[in-house]
Amino acid sequence: MTTTAGDLLTVDNLTVEFPTDDGVVRAVRGVSFTLRQGEVLGVVGESGSGKSVSSMAVMGLLPRSARIGGSIRFRDTEIVGLGQRQLEKLRGNDIAMIFQDPMTSLNPVYTVGWQLSEAYRAHHRVSKKVAWAKAVEALELVGIPQPDRRAAQFPHEFSGGMRQRVVIAMAIINDPTLIIADEPTTALDVTVQAQVLETLLRIRDETSAAIMIITHDLGVVAGMADRVQVMYGGTVVESGQVDAVFEQPRMPYTVGLLGSIPHPDLLGKRLTPIKGAPPSLMNLPPGCAFAPRCPLAGPECDEAEPELVPVGVSGHTSRCLKWDELGGDDDSRELFEHDEIGAVENPASLTQADPELAVVEDVAEVEQRMAREEGSNP
Amino acid sequence: MTTAKTSPSDAAPAGADTGQPLLQVSDLVKSFPVRGKGIIPRTVGQVQAVAGISFDLRAGETLGLVGESGCGKSTTGRAILQLHRPTSGSVRFEGRELVGRTARQLRSVRRDMQIVFQDPYASLNPRWTVNSVVREPLEIHHSSWGDKRIQAKVNNLLELVGLNPEHRNRFPHEFSGGQRQRIGIARALALEPKLLVLDEPVSALDVSVQAGVVNLLEELQQRLNLAYLFVAHDLSIVRHISHRIAVMYLGKIVEIGTRDEVYGRATHPYTQALLSAAPLPDPKAERERQRIVLTGDVPSPVNPPSGCRFRTRCWKAQDICATEEPKLEARGEDGHLSACHFPEVRSRES
Repeated sequence: MTTTAGDLLTVDNLTVEFPTDDGVVRAVRGVSFTLRQGEVLGVVGESGSGKSVSSMAVMGLLPRSARIGGSIRFRDTEIVGLGQRQLEKLRGNDIAMIFQDPMTSLNPVYTVGWQLSEAYRAHHRVSKKVAWAKAVEALELVGIPQPDRRAAQFPHEFSGGMRQRVVIAMAIINDPTLIIADEPTTALDVTVQAQVLETLLRIRDETSAAIMIITHDLGVVAGMADRVQVMYGGTVVESGQVDAVFEQPRMPYTVGLLGSIPHPDLLGKRLTPIKGAPPSLMNLPPGCAFAPRCPLAGPECDEAEPELVPVGVSGHTSRCLKWDELGGDDDSRELFEHDEIGAVENPASLTQADPELAVVEDVAEVEQRMAREEGSNP
Repeated sequence: MTTAKTSPSDAAPAGADTGQPLLQVSDLVKSFPVRGKGIIPRTVGQVQAVAGISFDLRAGETLGLVGESGCGKSTTGRAILQLHRPTSGSVRFEGRELVGRTARQLRSVRRDMQIVFQDPYASLNPRWTVNSVVREPLEIHHSSWGDKRIQAKVNNLLELVGLNPEHRNRFPHEFSGGQRQRIGIARALALEPKLLVLDEPVSALDVSVQAGVVNLLEELQQRLNLAYLFVAHDLSIVRHISHRIAVMYLGKIVEIGTRDEVYGRATHPYTQALLSAAPLPDPKAERERQRIVLTGDVPSPVNPPSGCRFRTRCWKAQDICATEEPKLEARGEDGHLSACHFPEVRSRES
């Protein structure tokens, strides 16, 4: 991957592994992407697809046990392998993060203004008074009414949506050039979600910061992002401009994901869920991670993991051997049609994925076996 | 099953006849005491979580109940099942009044009304096998059946919800989220109920798994002529599954009507704002659409605004809204019920 001018963040072949007692969890495998100034990148995926872990790696927030490979370059600084001291200079100053839960990301025993000015003073040598003024200014920017009065209040005096705005205010107080938002609106109601997303976009317009928004809600991505990146089983399976990916998905997983969301156009039709469950990151299939659930999968899909190949204009890429068989909306949805009732889902596949998982045996069977064993060696 | 389209049609649902509704709720109120501080907490006030709501539900029909968190939609579901005893009002199931009955009297009715909970991880006992989970209601209500018949029924139920009966001796942790929710549904269906209260049944599941459970619910409804009270905050799923939809705000129904009336020709400003705020997975529609962004937050239900409860966030609010509470009555051209002094269909794209 070559770095071009204007690229703010370049992630190249990032891998994150967690060694555990049961084996190595390969949470992120070979993820590469770039982010330009003022761009909004949406990262979508189900739980366990590695979307949060890759963003934590960018922030240098992973626990020490994590083994990180590949490269993350922020402007000209390599983040992988950077010491805590140098990371602290970046974190909160150039790169800021917004977490999912506004209840737990604020300290309940300090006023909101105190917490905001602390964040400012961590990176600027200014007096407390100046920092407080800056805090009030940040609260005003995120649309909190009466910011001077609200700054002196504690987090519990704010509602959920207001608290999330405070967290956003804290993220932008040092004018970061990159904001990573990890499920910023998942804990909020739809009307409040609309307000918070609008605030984020307005801040992008005013400060021209790049935003990486991680979510499982395809609707949020459709409304906010310029580019989208779909993750599955720890790696990117499709990425491209929002319109291209939503209109002409070239990866069966994306097709399945879009088909399983109720949509006004689908009224009166059956939803088309994806069969089975996401793979265990400890024991991934040798070929394409999606192959076990994929209606298009053939023997060649099980041989080796496909490469991320360009499939269209303006950087649309897909990790699928059969991408050219996908295209039209309706035919793609028909792919996933399958018998729902009567088609027995097999929980045994779960235990296959994880051999350590205890399997329950029938008591009668065990008794029989014990009786046999006792009979054979008295 | 490839035979029939299982989605609700706009015409009357399959089981709807002209007779009496299965469930009639009128002026249902549930309030909880607010306790003060101190060693001996005294009741210092009441929160009306549900503040007088009325609706009917027929056999084979799905009523979607939508609203933001704290609007009282889950409490409504539980008050109907008498899990929370209603403060006042009436809940009639097949003509029988449920409010004020003793636990013993309610037992026979409970058979016909079951609930599926939101979190499939918390609603199944981790130390019970799937078999015992699904078996328990049968053992209580059909103690005369005998082991063989009960076991056959359990196997049937597991198959009905798309699980392999051979896996009945496994424990809940061995199943994925979607499969666990199916176990919860099998348990609720064990006594062949007529009404299922579905309290956010898919919101804890991953997107790709949600669709499977939604399809299952639709198919079961067709087969068994079940009535659903579908409580959810996800507007697109509610739109997909419901015949009729009730929108709640701060303990009151602000608008109720058929799916097309509510989603296509909403007259209450709150419904319009709610619908316009829900993001669609379609970049083009997202860019074109006019979003109504409400200011402020939901007021506290301890101290609701006078008159119309929505007036503090409403862009149409006038003096009358503060003094007179709008009744839920037929307004607008198609005559579905809406509680607003200034009902108006918003002219817009979709």
